[in-house]
Amino acid sequence: MTEQPVISLKDVRKSYGSFELGPVDLEVEPGYVVAVVGPNGSGKSTLFRMLMNLARPDEGEVSLFGGTYPEDEVEIKQRVGYVPERSVGHDEMGATALGEFVSRWYPTWEQETYEDLVSRLRVEPGKRFGKLSGGIQRRLAFALAAATGAELLLLDEPTAGVDPFARREMLGDISEFMQTGDRTVVFATHVMEEVRRIADYVAFLVDGDFLGFYEKDALLERWRALWTDREPDGDAPGVVEIEAGHPTRVISDDPEVTEQALSRDGIRVVRSGPLDLEEVLSHLMRRRNESGVS
Amino acid sequence: MKNEGNEAAGTRVPIRLSMDDPQPMYRQIESQLRDFILSGQLPPGTKLPSVRALAKDLACSVITTRRAYQDLEGAGFIRTRQGMGTVVAELAQDTLSRHRREPVEEAFGHAVQAGRRAGFSEGELRAVFEETLEKSRQEQGVKP
Repeated sequence: MTEQPVISLKDVRKSYGSFELGPVDLEVEPGYVVAVVGPNGSGKSTLFRMLMNLARPDEGEVSLFGGTYPEDEVEIKQRVGYVPERSVGHDEMGATALGEFVSRWYPTWEQETYEDLVSRLRVEPGKRFGKLSGGIQRRLAFALAAATGAELLLLDEPTAGVDPFARREMLGDISEFMQTGDRTVVFATHVMEEVRRIADYVAFLVDGDFLGFYEKDALLERWRALWTDREPDGDAPGVVEIEAGHPTRVISDDPEVTEQALSRDGIRVVRSGPLDLEEVLSHLMRRRNESGVS
Repeated sequence: MKNEGNEAAGTRVPIRLSMDDPQPMYRQIESQLRDFILSGQLPPGTKLPSVRALAKDLACSVITTRRAYQDLEGAGFIRTRQGMGTVVAELAQDTLSRHRREPVEEAFGHAVQAGRRAGFSEGELRAVFEETLEKSRQEQGVKP
């Protein structure tokens, strides 16, 4: 069963001055949470802006729900809830007025969801957006997007500046949003804990380079640290890095094959364990630098 | 949205994933759920959490939980009905006894291997087994 992808990017490129994003090739199927991860200035927001037709790609094709910009802009946008990096034009309105304003664009608007999310912020319904703290602004922007009832949420660093307790709550809200099973969330973050907690897929973006789209659990299962009783000589298959010591720590992206090769050489694996996502990303970044892509 | 979510969550199940375990996560979920079902701790008809709710609980992906549910469904342990969620299936008696025996055999297999690696004779292994049984009897107050 192949479902139509919610998002499809083909060979998408965009440059601003000396900054170049892409080429990005990406297909997102419905029903998944996708984290877009990378350091600041990697092009995450540019990617989101292209998905919202707020920036045009120089090359390549952006398509959502099988439609393209500008022909299908209205149809597409009624199916997308968006939290931009910075909310624009909200400053003069309070939570209630913002809800009324946004609800007009969405036939699927869920007033009850909105009221529930807003009530947890404990803000005066009339207090102007511009007067709220940064964290509360993010949460209100998220509430506006989640209540659209849209099939796709595009969240550009929704938790930036949000305190850890509220951040956890927001991750819970994203899971709630996903409960129906056919909705999709794409969110940008550089907090790996968020990726670990709720993402199904991870897309890495570093300095404008797209380092790949991975199934999160497969990535965590594939990359492992093997502690061995002595240092392997030469290149065993799958070995990415060797940290000499007693025991020696061998990083592998194909642990089963590596272990077999090591045992043929009479090297014993004392223990094996997972890598965290930060370490996996740093290896992917190093690999990119070594392969000379710039 | 809130209430629907809670309903879809079904029973909370005390599954634990260990990243140190070289077994893939979906296998860990599968074997733990199977154990709960076979031991009767999750009786037939018990509603299980949705794949999304379980993924959230375990901080794993919905791809993993779906795969575990699909395998368990294929093996007849659980069933999924459109709109009804996933429930524990009624198991035939022979399936039940076969599956109850399997993990015990496996555990004994591991114990025997560990014993052999440590250089135990069969007599010594039997002695360890008897002692372990006796210790467990005393701890649980079971009569032989």
